[in-house]
Amino acid sequence: MKKLKETIINFLDNHISIAFPAPAMITLFIVVIFPIIYNIYMSFSKWKIGLGSPKFIGLQNYIDAFSDPRFWNGLKVMFLFSGLSLSLEIVLGLLIAVYFNKEFKGSNFIQTIYIFPFAATPVAIALIWRIMLNPQIGVLNYFLSLFGLPGSLWISDARTVIISLVLVDVWKWTPMITLIVLAGLKSLPKDPYEAAIIDGANAFHVFSYITLPLIRPVLITALTLRSLDNLKEFDIIYTITQGGPGIASETLYLYSYKTAFSFFKAGYGSTLIIIVFLLVLLFNVALNKIRYRTEVL
Amino acid sequence: MKKKLFSIIFLLSIFLMFTTMIALADINWRQFEGVEIRLLMNKHPFTTFIEPKIPEFEENTGIKVIMEVFPEDQFRDKRLIELNAGGKVDGYMIMPGQAKLHYWKAGWLAPLEGYMTDPDLTNIQEWDLGDFFAGPMKGARIEGHQIGVVINAEASLLSYRKDLFEQFNVKVPETMAELEETAKFFHKKVVDGKEMIGITLRGKDAAATSQFVDFLYSFGGSWTDEKGNANIASPESIEAFKFYGKLLREYGPKGPTMYHWAESTSTFMDGTAAMIFDANVFKSLYENPKESKVVGKVGYATVPAGSAGRLPHVSNWSLAVSGTATPECQKATWLFVQWATNKENELGALLSGVPAGRESAWTDPKFVSTDNTPDWTASSLQSFAIGQPQWNPPVLNVSEIRDIVGKVIVDSIEGKDVADSAKKAAELMNKTMEK
Repeated sequence: MKKLKETIINFLDNHISIAFPAPAMITLFIVVIFPIIYNIYMSFSKWKIGLGSPKFIGLQNYIDAFSDPRFWNGLKVMFLFSGLSLSLEIVLGLLIAVYFNKEFKGSNFIQTIYIFPFAATPVAIALIWRIMLNPQIGVLNYFLSLFGLPGSLWISDARTVIISLVLVDVWKWTPMITLIVLAGLKSLPKDPYEAAIIDGANAFHVFSYITLPLIRPVLITALTLRSLDNLKEFDIIYTITQGGPGIASETLYLYSYKTAFSFFKAGYGSTLIIIVFLLVLLFNVALNKIRYRTEVL
Repeated sequence: MKKKLFSIIFLLSIFLMFTTMIALADINWRQFEGVEIRLLMNKHPFTTFIEPKIPEFEENTGIKVIMEVFPEDQFRDKRLIELNAGGKVDGYMIMPGQAKLHYWKAGWLAPLEGYMTDPDLTNIQEWDLGDFFAGPMKGARIEGHQIGVVINAEASLLSYRKDLFEQFNVKVPETMAELEETAKFFHKKVVDGKEMIGITLRGKDAAATSQFVDFLYSFGGSWTDEKGNANIASPESIEAFKFYGKLLREYGPKGPTMYHWAESTSTFMDGTAAMIFDANVFKSLYENPKESKVVGKVGYATVPAGSAGRLPHVSNWSLAVSGTATPECQKATWLFVQWATNKENELGALLSGVPAGRESAWTDPKFVSTDNTPDWTASSLQSFAIGQPQWNPPVLNVSEIRDIVGKVIVDSIEGKDVADSAKKAAELMNKTMEK
C-alpha cells in the first residue's frame, strides 16, 4: 500500500507538466474537443435522428451545401447582420466610451443605467422587442405616429427585417464594447495628451492621432470577443423572427439548427455548423493577425 | 339538522365508494403497484387539468407517476432527444398528424390495440372505445395500429365579432366568396374610433400551413396526388394559395408574414379584427376577461365552403405509450392513459375548456347546462364529424415540407407570382419528401 502511494507520488513528481493540467484537459476533451470531432465526423454522414445509424457519404453534404440556395441565403444574411451590427457597435461603443471618459456630474449613475441592456437576459429582451417591433400592436410605430411619421413594417418586411434585428443587437451589445474600451481609455498614459495640448492640438486631432492609435489593440480585442458571439447570433434572431419573414433573416447558424432539430437531418446540420465554425475561426485568425501587427507597431 | 346532514354525507360517501369500486371492479388496478413511470407532456390546457389529479391515480394504482411538462417547442425537442437517447420515457403527448410516421418508423410508439382489448388491462365496457370521435382516433392510427388515445380534438373555426355583425346587419359567411366580401366590408371601417381589420390569420410560413390546409382542401387542392407526388402546384391548390394570400394582404393586419397564432389571436382579442380563422381551442383566450376585450362578443362558425365544399381539418393531441419502455412500464403507462382518458376526466377537461375527444363529454348535461357558447360547440362538433384527419403532408419529414409550403404562403401574401413559387416548391417537395 505504502509502495503504491510512493509510486503514484513519484509518477506525479516526474510528470508534473502532464498531471496538473490533466483534469482540465479531460474536461475540455469531453465537453469541447469530442463534440467538435464528432460533429466533423457527422458532417460526412447522412442520418435522420431516430432512424437507423449514420451512413458515411463522404463530401456529399458539402457538395449539397454549395448548391443549396438556402445555404447562400444564410451566408448572405450572416454577413449582412454581423457586418452592420459589429461596425455600429464598435463605432458607437468607442464614441460613448470617449464621452464617459470625461468625468461629469451624474456620470456614474448614467453609466449604470446604460449597461442595463447588456446585463439583461437575451431571450427576455428579445421577447419584449418582438412585441415592440410588431407593426400592428407595437409601440415603435406609435412613437413614430406621434411625430407624424409613417409606421414601418420592421421585422415583418423582408427589406427591413435585418436592420431591425441589427437595431436590437446594437442596443443590447454596444454597452459591452463601451465597458471594454472605457477600461482601456482609463489606463492610457496622460503625457501624450498634455504634450499635444501644449502643441496646440484640438479635440479632433487628439482623438485621431492619440486616442485612436493607443486604443486600437483594445478595440480589436473587443471586436474579437463580440464577433465570437455575433457571428453565431441565435437567441435574439430565433426569438424575434425565427428567420422570417420566409427566410429573410435566417442566418447560416439558424439554418443549421433548423436542419438538425426541426428537419432532423443531423448529418447536413453538422455540415452547416462546421462551415459556420470555420468562418468564425477564419475571421478570428485574421483579427488576431491585425492585433499582433498593431501591437508590434 | 346536523345529524341529518351527517347521515347524508355518510350515505353519499358510501355510494361514491361503491360506484368507484364497481368502476374499478373488473381489472386489477394495483397489478403494477410500485412501478415508476415517467411522462413527457406539453404545457397544454389538458396537462394543466390532469396534473393535479395524479395523486388520485397514484393512490388507486400504487404506480408512481413522474410528469415533466415543457412549453411546446422545447417539449418537441426534448421528446425527440430523449427518445433517441433511449432514456427512461414511458409515455408522452403527441400530435399524430405531425410526428406519427417518424416516431413509428423509429420504434418510439407502442401499438395500443392489444391493451385496449385485453380484459386484464382494460375496463373495456366502462372505458368505451366507441365513445371517442372517429376522425381524431383515425388520425392516431398508423398501418392499422392505434398509437395514441385522443385527449383533445382540434379544428379551426371562423370566429367573428357577432356584435358588429348584428350592428351592421352582416350575415355570417357561408362561402369563401362571402368570406372575402365580409372581410372587405369591415376592413378599414372605423368602429368606436378604431380602424378595423377585415380578418386576421396566420401568415408566418410553416405555422400558417395548419390553418391554410382548410382552404387548400375547400378549394379542391391537396398536399399530394394519388401517386404520392406533390400536388401543391395544381390549379386548385394555386387558387387556395392566392385566396389565402389576398385575404391577408388586402384585408389583414400589417406585417402578416410574421403572424403566428399568438399575434393573430392578440389582434382579435384587442378588438381590432372583425374575424379570425384559427383553432377552436383559442375560445378559452377570446372568452378570458383577463386577456380579451371581446368577451361575450364572439360568434363561431365552421370553415366557409369553397369550390370543393366545406372541408375542415381535424387534428388532435393524443397520449401515447413509448415503444422504448420496458413491457411492465408500458402496461403501467397504459393504465395511466386509460385513466386519464376515461369519461370522467375527458368531461372534466372539456369543462375546463379543452375540446375533449369523447362524444359523451359534449352531450353530458353538466357541460350542456353550463355551455354559454353553443355555436362554438355546434361548429366544433360539426367540424369533428366532417373533418379530414390528414391535416399535414403525408410524409415522414413533415416539418421540412411544411417549411417549403409555408414559403409559398409568404410569397402569396407578398403579392409575388404564386404559380411560379408553388411550382418551385412542388419540385423541391418532390425532391425532399421522405415516406
